[in-house]
Amino acid sequence: MSESIALEADGLGKRYGANWALRDCTLELPAGSVTALVGPNGAGKTTLLQLACGLSSPTAGTVRVLGLSPQEDAHALLPRVGFVAQEHPLHRSFTIRETLKLGRKLNPGWDDAYARERIERLGLPLGKRIAKLSGGQQAQVALTLALAKRPELLLLDEPVASLDPVARREFLNTIMEAVSEDGVTVVLSSHIIADLQRVCDQLVILSGGRAELVGSIDDILASHRLLTGARGDAEEVARVHAVIRESHTGRQTSLLVRANGHVYDSRWELHEIDLEEIVLAYLGYGRSAEPAPVPIEEAASR
Amino acid sequence: MIAFHLEARSGVPTYLQLVQQVRQAIRLGVLRPGDQLPTVKEVVGSLTINPNTVLKAYRELDREGLVEGRRGIGTFVSDELPTTPPDGVRELRAGLQRWIDRARASGLDDESIEALFADAVRPPAVSRVA
Amino acid sequence: MTWVAWRQQRTETLITVGILALLAALLLPTGLDMASTYHRNGLAACLGPSASLSCRQAIDDFGARFDSLNSLIAWFTLVPGLIGILLAAPFVLQLEHGTYRLDWTQSITRRRWISGKLGLAIVVGLAASLLFTLLTTWWRTPLVHLEGRMDASVFDSEGTVVFAYTLFGLGLALAAGAVWRRAVPALIVGFTGYFAGRVFVDTWLRQRFIAPVRATWSASGPSPANYRHAWVISEYRSDKVGHPIAPLGACTGSTGAKRIIDPSCIMEKGTGYMHAVYEPASRFWALQGIETAVFGSVALALILFAAVWTNRRAA
Repeated sequence: MSESIALEADGLGKRYGANWALRDCTLELPAGSVTALVGPNGAGKTTLLQLACGLSSPTAGTVRVLGLSPQEDAHALLPRVGFVAQEHPLHRSFTIRETLKLGRKLNPGWDDAYARERIERLGLPLGKRIAKLSGGQQAQVALTLALAKRPELLLLDEPVASLDPVARREFLNTIMEAVSEDGVTVVLSSHIIADLQRVCDQLVILSGGRAELVGSIDDILASHRLLTGARGDAEEVARVHAVIRESHTGRQTSLLVRANGHVYDSRWELHEIDLEEIVLAYLGYGRSAEPAPVPIEEAASR
Repeated sequence: MIAFHLEARSGVPTYLQLVQQVRQAIRLGVLRPGDQLPTVKEVVGSLTINPNTVLKAYRELDREGLVEGRRGIGTFVSDELPTTPPDGVRELRAGLQRWIDRARASGLDDESIEALFADAVRPPAVSRVA
Repeated sequence: MTWVAWRQQRTETLITVGILALLAALLLPTGLDMASTYHRNGLAACLGPSASLSCRQAIDDFGARFDSLNSLIAWFTLVPGLIGILLAAPFVLQLEHGTYRLDWTQSITRRRWISGKLGLAIVVGLAASLLFTLLTTWWRTPLVHLEGRMDASVFDSEGTVVFAYTLFGLGLALAAGAVWRRAVPALIVGFTGYFAGRVFVDTWLRQRFIAPVRATWSASGPSPANYRHAWVISEYRSDKVGHPIAPLGACTGSTGAKRIIDPSCIMEKGTGYMHAVYEPASRFWALQGIETAVFGSVALALILFAAVWTNRRAA
């Protein structure tokens, strides 16, 4: 059933003028999953999210959300998708009460009791103006607005980028609650990778408008290994496994591989690596530009 | 009641960390047969982690026979645990001590001993790559 | 959406009400003063083309007293444009600050949002125009009795044109704001466009709406009946056929050092006639209708453009 896939992109691309912000993006995100969308600024994260919620339309390829087209089926889809844009825009002159009223007026499926209960739990007075709230409080109000329409899919564009650590943890906690209580599917983009391993179960790495890696985080952690060993070349390893990053120092070579099966090679020491290291490797960090020249004595002794 | 903690920058998947902590808690007697594990909601609230992760961990523990889920109530430590008999543990302990003495006698320092040991005992995730 | 559009336009609506209140505060006392002076001095009886001397004097006095105020009030013709531009602000500011992304991802469609906001701006603009027109028309009643309403500074605050002016200002600011998504360019385009458009029509286009009447009559006789209270585009001394002449130049000869004006020549050629190009007062509503249609259709085209452009463009 197509609805077990919450978000599906097929060769999806978006061009602004001469520049492809997103290119050839193909992925499937299962319903009920929490997906991290990571990548440097300008990688296409915002573009992908905006295509998914219908704020922009594809130049190439297709995107289907909950089995529907965000452009053609906007009327049917909008009540089922919650979106918090970058910088969590809110009407600054509105009070919290008026902001909730906006949600109530513009969403047929609005759950006012839920919204008020959340605001109360956050300890925010309804009569306070949005402009007077802190960044973390504004983010929580924006999230309340998105959740109170009881969406099936929640899209968040860099929601915690400007929040302090406490606000960040509280924000993510709210999302996790919504996932555990209502089974909401979540896609959140971030260039802060630290939180994502605990919160997300799927990962999409975007770089330069392309999807470099898509998969479940558990599988990714289980299949990626750091191989260290004496100075040598990666050819033999590369024949069997995918070498993501290769770096050489004077006496040692490190290879970050996506293992295709078990790594049987006594020359290499295996290490597990955390998600951030894997992501950075895919984004091109830490690569040696060229292999460093081998010292003369070692070359002679070979 | 067990309190979970997370090593966020670990190469070990989150669900596995939870599984390992439950196993350890049972081994040490912190969790006894019949004790209730925290609910998914409680773990999510205290750790801010994905509820799917908790479910996956509990499913794995259920598969290993360490816990059982009672629908509508919660997840509980099994009344019958597949434990190694106490004699077996003592014998293993003694053998291990002898091995350590031999390793030290041949000149290995503690760190090298630990590295050797870790190398031989890889966590299940790595062997599963095979 | 109606409440949302209202709330988002609340400040600008209040400012508009404030402007109109200020206008009323200025016009009410002076208008009442003017009306009572008019009646007190019995000027109503002086309206015919009759040339009673005491009437003429009274009219001159009235004019001397209120004409400068009248010229000042003429500047108020900028107010409808100002109000139109002001009412475009909520729409444009939302585009500039990105809060439209919040509204467009609730459950209503983009189209509904655009039509709701623009519709309300138009409604408030029209209501403000109505109040403005009623206020200025009432204020000018005595002067209109005396001098008619075809003159440029009177014409543009009576009848239906004010509605079109307001929508014109609104349309300019909306269109510029939709393209640039910034409030300052929208403001600048709105003001300069409104000013330029109004000047263009006032000074050049209006007289070309309907071919004006041209008439020549003897300077010593009465002017044509429809000349009263007409909008005079030009008026000059002419010969019998209507060609303009310098009154004395053609009939001046010189004998020696003296300049001699030949009286019989003047009788035959010159000062005997007046020629005028004018729009009679009876054409008031025709001209109003055409000018309203001109500004109104441009305004609606601009508003439609703003709506379509915003709907089509990606976020």
